[in-house]
Amino acid sequence: MNAYRTAFAWQSRAVLGRHVRVHLRKWHTALLPPVFEPVILLLAFGVGLGRQMGELDWGGRPVGYLAYLAPGILAYTAFMTAFFQSLFSAYIRMHFQKSWEGQLTTQVRLEHVIWGEALWAASMATAYAVFVCVVLAASGLAGALSLHWGWLALALPMVFLMALSFAALGLLFTAWLPSMDHMSLPFFLVIMPIGFASSTYFPLPDVPVLRHVVQVNPLHHMAEGLRWALLEGQATWHLAAAMGLCLLMLLVLLPIDMRLLRRRVFGDR
Amino acid sequence: MSAAIASSELLLDARGLTKSLGGRVVVDGVDLTCARGEVLGLLGPNGAGKTTALRMCYGFLRPDAGSVRIAGHDLAREPDAARRRLGVCTQDDTFDPDFTVRGNLVQTGRYYRPRIANLPGRIEEVLQQFGLTEFADRTPDTLSGGFKRRLMIARSVLHRPEVAFLDEPTTGLDPQARVAVWELVASLRAAGMAVVLTTHYMEEAERLSDRLLVLHAGRVRAAGPPRAVLGAVVGEHIVVLPSVEGRDPVGAWLVQRGTVAARVLGQRHIALDAPGLASFVAAFPGLRYEVRAPTLDDLCLALADGPLA
Repeated sequence: MNAYRTAFAWQSRAVLGRHVRVHLRKWHTALLPPVFEPVILLLAFGVGLGRQMGELDWGGRPVGYLAYLAPGILAYTAFMTAFFQSLFSAYIRMHFQKSWEGQLTTQVRLEHVIWGEALWAASMATAYAVFVCVVLAASGLAGALSLHWGWLALALPMVFLMALSFAALGLLFTAWLPSMDHMSLPFFLVIMPIGFASSTYFPLPDVPVLRHVVQVNPLHHMAEGLRWALLEGQATWHLAAAMGLCLLMLLVLLPIDMRLLRRRVFGDR
Repeated sequence: MSAAIASSELLLDARGLTKSLGGRVVVDGVDLTCARGEVLGLLGPNGAGKTTALRMCYGFLRPDAGSVRIAGHDLAREPDAARRRLGVCTQDDTFDPDFTVRGNLVQTGRYYRPRIANLPGRIEEVLQQFGLTEFADRTPDTLSGGFKRRLMIARSVLHRPEVAFLDEPTTGLDPQARVAVWELVASLRAAGMAVVLTTHYMEEAERLSDRLLVLHAGRVRAAGPPRAVLGAVVGEHIVVLPSVEGRDPVGAWLVQRGTVAARVLGQRHIALDAPGLASFVAAFPGLRYEVRAPTLDDLCLALADGPLA
């Protein structure tokens, strides 16, 4: 349990605070991706492609592509941001900047650094998700989108948990990858399979194998759960499945992260 | 040894440290102690276990056996209390590149509880003490090597620790910058801190250390005041013989005594005690050679290549 208790230690908050402070100092450049990415995605896919596609069949219901896409983008943004932060940015801080080692010479211990990284990745992912919500709300005000808006606020804590679990997965690769040259591996092993088998951008084809595989994909359940919530105003089992899978990922991955990163950072078992 | 050590207040008290890495015993039953106002020099050839021993003392590595107490606090049982009382300057520069020199100190200050009293005032004090005031608003990567080291040491003592670990603090510095770091180390000792340093510079270890601890193959080979350690491991005198062509009159004498000479650039360096030197002088009255006091270079050669004497 000690691996999880350290999440609430002041040292973990101090590390998180460091990342927040650095990011706020660069707010003018840091704001560009979260603002423009969902706008571009909604315009390109939702409006552009959606106009060509007309309506989709989603669980026997006809749905406009922009409406179908909106919850998917919300879930996918959180997934990608958390994974990238805990992979690329954490790797750079650990390996090249050596800022981890600087922190570790103080009262901060490795488990705090790891939790600080994971919490930061999840916080940033949630902040990006907030920007997506703002863009969706603006689309709603412009009359392009009609959602059950109250669910947006309720979605954010779930998005945070999902981001935290994918941050734990990103840290696993941070601990495991031998060098920057191997950074393409997580794309093939994680991003592409999870992203494509998730019903974020398009409804999954009715393939028996795929139907079973997606049951263990938290991104699929999150996208579908948010879709039911935002389009129909209903809380479905998908949300519970997403939360359960994310909790399981956290429980399993964080102790492994800590063990592997201890070996990586200190050369210790 | 300074007067403060007479009180024998051990601020670092590490006993029986043992650590295996990669299936090899790197540190084997090492005791490390350092008292208030004392500088302990940790020496040894590459791979002797210096950095591993130090890393166990400041909590980077968990010892397989043994214990570390910092100012009375057990590092394993009371990590927060022990770590609050120690400062670490690592071999590599590990400052935060996303902050200025002052920002680095501010951020470091946030990593300690209880909080550092009057942190802004303490930062100004440290900037001044380490000659960093004029660079306070620059990023660390714009500093020269000497000032980067100063920042590293400044950061390690910001929270007024009782024990400071300095891992090769002057490696790569020019002589002027090195002397400046020496003065800082002396000021830390004068302030009553227990300072543990590792170095490859023998002159530095001799000048700064009250006590040396020599590690070889993970074990303590010798410990004590610098001159005593040299005498114990190397000998009292070093006879330097130029290279000889043809018949070597000294070779047989060395074999007879069971003495091994170290070879440096063709010269033979023979470590001898006082009776041995007297015997050598008597045996070779017409031979040209130089007699000098042993240095820590001789010590490392002795440890790396086998005994000089």
